[in-house]
Amino acid sequence: MKRLVLSAVLAVSMLAAPVMASDTIRLGTEGAYAPYNYFDDSGKIAGYEIDLGNAICKKAGLTCEWVVNEWDSIIPNLIAGNYDGIMAGMSITDERKKTINFSDEYYPVAPSLYAAAAGHKVDLSALKGKKIGVQGATVQAAFAEQHYAADNTILSFETFDQSVADLMAGNIDVLLADGDPLTSVVEGSKGALVFVGDGVAIGGGVAIGLRKKDVELAKKLNSALAALKSDGTVDKLIKKYFEKGPFYSK
Amino acid sequence: MFETLQQTAFVQDIIILAKPALFNLYFALASIPMGFPFAVLLAIGKASPNRLFSLVSRGYIYAFRGSPLFIQFFMCYSIMLALNQSVWKPLGINHIMLHPLFLGPFVLVLNTSAYAAEIFYGALKTVPKGEVEAAQAYGMSRWNVFRIVTWPNMLRLAWPAYTNEMVFLFHATTLVYFTLPVINEQKDLMNKASELFERDYNVFLHFSVAALYFLLISIFIFWLAGLMQKHLNRHITGEKVRLFFKPRYLR
Amino acid sequence: MLESVITQITQWLGEDAGASLAYITNGKHMAWYASVRYTLIAAVGGAVCAVLFGLTGAALKQSSFLPFKWIGDFYTTIVRGVPDVLFILFFPLAFEKTVEFVLARFTCSSESLAVATGWPPCDAAQWYLRTGDYLTMACVSLGIVYGAFAANVIHGAMQAVPKGQLEAASAYGFTPKQVFWRFRVRQMWIYALPGLSNVWMLLLKATSLLSLLQIADIVQWAGRLGSANYFPGVGLVHPDWRWKYYFVLFLFFILMTMLSERFFEMLQRRASRGMALVESN
Repeated sequence: MKRLVLSAVLAVSMLAAPVMASDTIRLGTEGAYAPYNYFDDSGKIAGYEIDLGNAICKKAGLTCEWVVNEWDSIIPNLIAGNYDGIMAGMSITDERKKTINFSDEYYPVAPSLYAAAAGHKVDLSALKGKKIGVQGATVQAAFAEQHYAADNTILSFETFDQSVADLMAGNIDVLLADGDPLTSVVEGSKGALVFVGDGVAIGGGVAIGLRKKDVELAKKLNSALAALKSDGTVDKLIKKYFEKGPFYSK
Repeated sequence: MFETLQQTAFVQDIIILAKPALFNLYFALASIPMGFPFAVLLAIGKASPNRLFSLVSRGYIYAFRGSPLFIQFFMCYSIMLALNQSVWKPLGINHIMLHPLFLGPFVLVLNTSAYAAEIFYGALKTVPKGEVEAAQAYGMSRWNVFRIVTWPNMLRLAWPAYTNEMVFLFHATTLVYFTLPVINEQKDLMNKASELFERDYNVFLHFSVAALYFLLISIFIFWLAGLMQKHLNRHITGEKVRLFFKPRYLR
Repeated sequence: MLESVITQITQWLGEDAGASLAYITNGKHMAWYASVRYTLIAAVGGAVCAVLFGLTGAALKQSSFLPFKWIGDFYTTIVRGVPDVLFILFFPLAFEKTVEFVLARFTCSSESLAVATGWPPCDAAQWYLRTGDYLTMACVSLGIVYGAFAANVIHGAMQAVPKGQLEAASAYGFTPKQVFWRFRVRQMWIYALPGLSNVWMLLLKATSLLSLLQIADIVQWAGRLGSANYFPGVGLVHPDWRWKYYFVLFLFFILMTMLSERFFEMLQRRASRGMALVESN
């Protein structure tokens, strides 16, 4: 019986073995964070990070494969080995650095912003008794927990889209989120949503999340990224998706 | 050395997960008192000779038994959200309606009452005809026939299956925070166990402790319901009523 | 083909109808419809596993050898005391870790084992999970959970097989093993069918949980499609439409339940051909 189980396990692993070809890397993303990553109308994963990731892989001579994973388990599943890197608008933070490694940044630090329904008075300097929305397991969630949890209610949502839906429906007073996705929402809401107060800088730039032990891979990706930064490809993509920049080319 | 470490981690988990377990208990305990009368009404509706009542009850029971609770949760939350600006806000009850501590039990009641109604309906159909006829022959009013004959019989017949349903309901509480926003530190067993897992990737420890809580509380529900079963069957002599944990498997 | 249909519809019913039809047949929606396959595969695969686990469980419960009986009872009791969600989340994680543990035993050099800090200890022991792997494991998890339910149904059905038939069989000189497989198991299906149909309905509804295993199933796509979009680059700009998509899923599962009922009624009729003793209830 024991031998049977063992051989079954081995058979499964044989099936899995060819997957680990060394020149393919698998990148994890969320698919719900426009313009970083999203599903376009043809049902394909698209966005700034998809274009950039493919460019990086091409430069580094690797084949890229995209894996869509929900945000709240995106780091555990990197460590469990379902993919080799995370490109999902993830900011560099000290907390995350304890468990994973980061490549060099591919999008500079952008302030996190607050949004509220138009005409809804919110005084950021004296938040009290308000419902504050964040996406769970983000830098903004940690920030809100630290600064507002004592006097306010914090609602954490599985996805960014859900938090926006609750803001639009008036179930939360303020939404604290990453500046760029929030900007596209506020601009697209045709005046229904407005920014409140100034943003806060939380966390570092956006970078590829990697397992700590994959030092070689990090080097490879970093040199490809550096080449793309200096030849202007990164800035071109940022211009295309965010209408900002240039940041990296001289 | 390793053994003791594991042991303390185990004990620690038991302590950490005690509060989240209360949330699962809360969701179940808040749903049962509402779900029970609603289910009885639906069962009577389904058995009613009135075509309209019967049709509505049948449709409701079929729909909520025929679709997954997971979808019902998503659907109810998004509908509640869509109604927020136009209905809940003007009424001033928006904070209650969208709160998981209200909405969770609300959806659970919608769901469990359909299942329980089917159980009670089945029991209503098997209430001994002779007893009802005897009561009618005594000249009892319809209300008295129901109160004195039909109701206690139905309850007694339905009780084992209803016990089972309560355990299913308790297990279904795990879905609340997979679908609704988490407020502050209000987390249930699955939620907290996943969170602990994401911290140290110890699969076996955290989920086992959560499973242990579910198992113990399930056994407790079976035991408590067994006492009630004994009470309901107190007039029946001869037949020995099993008090023990004997789970049924069909929902 | 599709485009010509859309142009036709636009001509007949006007711009709005054409645009709506174009929208609900775009690639994103097609991906949603296509993702039904995961639900169906998981349901059918899960059902096959559940029957296998159910037969094993019932055979164990039936066993006169006490430790086997205890294992059977333990299995059905544990599964009944723990929510299915917990199993569906826990089993793939635990299985992956176990496989990697065994792989590490065989493939990692002892040096790499000694210095390893993370998991798994070396790259060769890494098991990359894809949708197919997750789907297989989802089938097995569903099989374990609903197999316990099926085990109970099958166990009960085996008891319902008339004793006389079994006695007659052994009187004819069939061995106990033959009596078990050729008479008890063959005959019990008819008694087990109503219960198994109930287990199938539970299993079908549990397939809605696939998204928890990172499978892009109908629930996942409904969320993606329904979420409000404010960014023209992504596609049609629209407010939060999630409740509509979830309502479609609600109806979809009710429809599946109806079809399953019809199917099991047919099975029951076929199975009871030549049998005089089956009551309708």
